[in-house]
Amino acid sequence: MAETNTVPVPPESAKSGSGGSRPRFDVLSFISTYGVFITLVACIVIFTVLDSDFIEIDNLRTQLGLAAPLLMLSLGLTVVLAMGDFDLSIAGTLSASAAAIVVLMVNHDWPWGLAVMVGVAFGLGIGAINGLLVSYVEMPSFITTLATFLILLGVEYMISDGRNITGAADMPDLYRDLGIGKPEPLTEFTSPVWIAAGLAIILWLMMSKTELGRYMYAIGGNPEAARLSGINVKALRALGFVVVGFVAVIAAVSQTARTASSIPRVGISLLLSAYAAAFLGAAASRQGLFNVPGTVLGVIFLQAVQSGLTILGYDRDILDISRGSILVLAMLLTALGAKRR
Amino acid sequence: MTATAPAGAAPLLEVSGVTKRYPGVLAVDDVTLSLEPGEIVGLVGKNGAGKSTLIKIIAGAERADEGHLQLNGEPLDLHRPHDATVAGLAFVHQDLQDVGDLSVAENVRMGIGYPRRLGLFVDWAELRRQAAESIARLEVEIDPRQLVGKLSVAQQRLVMIARGLAQQASLLVLDEPSASLTDEEIEHLFAVVRRLRDDGITVVYVSHRLEEIFELTERVLVMRNGELVADEPTTSLDRGSLISHITGHEHAQTASERRASRGVGGRPEAEVVLEVDGVSADTGVRDCSFDVRKGEILGLGGLMGSGRTELVRAVFGADHRKEGSVRVHGAEISDNHPSVSMSAGLALLPEDRKTQGNIMDFSVRNNITLASLDRHRVRPKTPFPSPRSEKLAADRRIDRLSIATPHDRQLVRLLSGGNQQKVVIAKWLEQGADVLIFDEPTIGVDVDGKEEIYDIMEELAAEGKAVVFISSEFSELVGVCHRVLVLHEGRIVGELEGDAVSEPAIVEICYSQH
Repeated sequence: MAETNTVPVPPESAKSGSGGSRPRFDVLSFISTYGVFITLVACIVIFTVLDSDFIEIDNLRTQLGLAAPLLMLSLGLTVVLAMGDFDLSIAGTLSASAAAIVVLMVNHDWPWGLAVMVGVAFGLGIGAINGLLVSYVEMPSFITTLATFLILLGVEYMISDGRNITGAADMPDLYRDLGIGKPEPLTEFTSPVWIAAGLAIILWLMMSKTELGRYMYAIGGNPEAARLSGINVKALRALGFVVVGFVAVIAAVSQTARTASSIPRVGISLLLSAYAAAFLGAAASRQGLFNVPGTVLGVIFLQAVQSGLTILGYDRDILDISRGSILVLAMLLTALGAKRR
Repeated sequence: MTATAPAGAAPLLEVSGVTKRYPGVLAVDDVTLSLEPGEIVGLVGKNGAGKSTLIKIIAGAERADEGHLQLNGEPLDLHRPHDATVAGLAFVHQDLQDVGDLSVAENVRMGIGYPRRLGLFVDWAELRRQAAESIARLEVEIDPRQLVGKLSVAQQRLVMIARGLAQQASLLVLDEPSASLTDEEIEHLFAVVRRLRDDGITVVYVSHRLEEIFELTERVLVMRNGELVADEPTTSLDRGSLISHITGHEHAQTASERRASRGVGGRPEAEVVLEVDGVSADTGVRDCSFDVRKGEILGLGGLMGSGRTELVRAVFGADHRKEGSVRVHGAEISDNHPSVSMSAGLALLPEDRKTQGNIMDFSVRNNITLASLDRHRVRPKTPFPSPRSEKLAADRRIDRLSIATPHDRQLVRLLSGGNQQKVVIAKWLEQGADVLIFDEPTIGVDVDGKEEIYDIMEELAAEGKAVVFISSEFSELVGVCHRVLVLHEGRIVGELEGDAVSEPAIVEICYSQH
């Protein structure tokens, strides 16, 4: 290796061609990179023009409060998706722990702190079981977590008897505060918004600023190469499921504290939205990787569309069709340019 | 219109003035050539010389910017790969493009259409019969009902060739077909290629292994920097002149000449760094013992499947070690895990850089620092990597190993094979191991790149590292290693040192085992 000055050349290069080397603004690649942003901005503009209530600060507050549990769930999912795994049981963990916490407080008069602690332990336990089965027993994550999801739905039914459990009167104020309170001095938004924001910052730091996050992305890119580079692949994949179990319970607490009730199968409606948000976020990133800021953007996107259509007075049917169509549009813009690369 | 065309006979395929530009790169530069019916033509050149792009244009996977193609004197216009298939052009790529979960018969007839019953249901018996017919032409026994994923790599390549035959191909392009085949399998492959030639099929054989080019081909096309720089009968070339064409400069040295000129002798007198004692594994490694000294380059030779890769994987802890012990600097490695071996000072540069060596979607920088991230922290004892420290380290390695990349943020996926291999090397240099095990580091790497990798190993040895070098090309071992161990069926069956290291001696040990 006597070479001292080497001029880096492009890969697979032969020699500089006469054409094509000048930098040029490429509309398609711009669209593909910012497809999700463009659609989001377009939606916000359209909704604002149609009804100015949309951009009101009160609506913003409400919508962020409503979106907080979804955001928590999506953030947890981002961690496992980045490592190449799926977790469907997340909706089951949310539903079952929501029912358990509410039943313990309302029907059995448990102190709210203890009920929440039981819920958290339950979530961590489910995460650990998923992690063990997928990472150490090497079962495929999709079908494994689908199975635990089904089991958890059954558990939830056992706990709640399939009924709404409401008990605003029986819930301690401190617990309700976790859902509707505005903590001093941060009175701008309700607690779930701040909790979700805190979670987003912590997970963002973890995924993009720490060794742990780098290793997680390495596992997502190539688990065998990661293992041969000395990374403890099994432990990290299992950890991902534990993180998901934890955030699912936090989301359950936010949800039940806000509505003062446990609604059966509450997690299911959130499940698909959480995946949609995470995939939108990946589509919005340059390299198509699952990432925390992208997921936040995805949640805001979904909630903005939902809110805008609701304000305009559309019913559930139009709402679902429009939401699906706008999703397709956002992904289409991304795919359009990516195809040309 | 071409010099090589015999008078009167129409060429099979003519390529005239074909040029292809990518942004900033002239990949194929005004290439004109013709292929005659029933000849075996070698296509050689360094990585990035334009071979792949030229093949993609003929395969209809890329459009040429200029120039045109003619098939049997008729203009050939390819818009997509299917057009090439219909025209009778078949391609067998290095990374097999078969479907492992489908049967041999389904793979052979894929893309041509399956025979039907009542216009709707697949006629499985007829499908198997047709596939068996194509396979029979290769004089090989493969059950059409067998799942392709269960076949050996050699058999899978033959299935892909059979697919070409089923397409009534008149031109067959084989891209590095001998990679990971045993010598016997390569001989059989050659016999198949010659038989196809006798049937009038034209075969284009792409390979970095020049011995194969000389043994098999009748004519050689050499590409360099996108241009066709040589088009000559194989018999008019020797190894030296062919290498000169490929590299563009005088540069021809046989392995033994290299050994002599570099003064490679016996193992150095120094302390033992790595001791392997009685290692066995479920992968077929049986009771292997050896040691490596500081500053030594130890070669592991043997035929494909002799257990070389399996041995080093068991030593490193990539596979489970059933019996035996591994010591580095006298301290035993207790646990069977790569991370434990790494902290003891052991590094394994795995055989397949794509599936085991690199994270292809990571940048060059992030790959280089992946195994040593805890030494690039913003502050010690905090788990935050410092981008500045990482960049410094990556730039230093890129410079020292001459990795051809525009910048350290480039995705490894976008580098050429030789440069991807250098990124794997850089990762382990950065990790700072005392014992580096190189498993087939030169596969798919061009002549200049190979020489650079030998230089790196020699430099490491000179710095006092212990190096283990696995290669299927025995000449490489002869050119570089102080000592060579030969494996057979998972056992170490021979040892050569110093002046005793020669190609015939290694081959002799390999074949005296049967």
